[in-house]
Amino acid sequence: MTQDVAPGEWIAALIAARDTQQCDFFDFLTAVDELDEGIRVVAHVYSTKTRQHALIRTLLPPGALTLPTATTVYRGANWHERETHEMFGVHFEGHPNLVPLLLPDGFEGNPLRKDFVLASRVAKQWPGEVDPGQSMTDLKKPKRRRNLPPGVPENWAQP
Amino acid sequence: MKGLLKGLAVTLRTMTRRSVTRQYPEVQPDLPPRSRGVIGLLAENCTSCMLCARECPDWCIYIESHKETLPAAVEGGRERSRNVLDRFAIDFSLCMYCGICIEACPFDALFWSPEFEYAEHRIGSLTHEMDLLGEWMKTVPPPPEIDPGKPG
Repeated sequence: MTQDVAPGEWIAALIAARDTQQCDFFDFLTAVDELDEGIRVVAHVYSTKTRQHALIRTLLPPGALTLPTATTVYRGANWHERETHEMFGVHFEGHPNLVPLLLPDGFEGNPLRKDFVLASRVAKQWPGEVDPGQSMTDLKKPKRRRNLPPGVPENWAQP
Repeated sequence: MKGLLKGLAVTLRTMTRRSVTRQYPEVQPDLPPRSRGVIGLLAENCTSCMLCARECPDWCIYIESHKETLPAAVEGGRERSRNVLDRFAIDFSLCMYCGICIEACPFDALFWSPEFEYAEHRIGSLTHEMDLLGEWMKTVPPPPEIDPGKPG
């Protein structure tokens, strides 16, 4: 079952899922970058008694990426919120320890945002740019048309 | 006391069953023929068309080639040019074993091999060049029998 709620009803929806729908198992909490619409936070919970799933979603507008912490409802949400915080830049109000979970110290940016530039796709020469009958050294010669790697946005800086 | 008996019952039940332990590396594992161990290259079939390198989601296939002009086969015929493969390398430290390159190849130059014992001490050694990729071809199992399908 999927339920879309307003950010203000987030905690109430989680409490309702836990208490009235008996969803005692907190599976995961993550987010989806919806570009101009903002960031959608998703939580999946499950009832081991009735075996019902519940997916609770809320859309945060780009200017207000703040949500009250779900650790008050499900304690297991602690690490999931830390990860969502570092990966998407969503702030969880009242979280006991909102520090990066997976990223190294001093890492800048939110890697799972769609505007995050993947260093490995910018620093590396695309091997497919070579045409049949060419070698890598031929790429340094000027030519009319460049083969661009599929799926890499054109506004990412190319070497 | 109850827990002790239960534990002994589990032990007895397990004792009667056959062991599933595989004695690798003393005994080689019996892998299914379609195991994805390593990718072999049949260089004779490669036309350096670049399709695999362009399809590869991990950007781990490197191909370099040059054009060679063949003289006309018959008197007054046209000269033919063809691509000669200079380098074909797969970086297995990046490869995610998706098999897209093998499916993309229209000339059947790439094959799965179940060979998996090619760990290295240095990451650079995982880039297998043409000669090594050709060696892997010896470990590629023969294609399965054609399924005759439902008769009639």
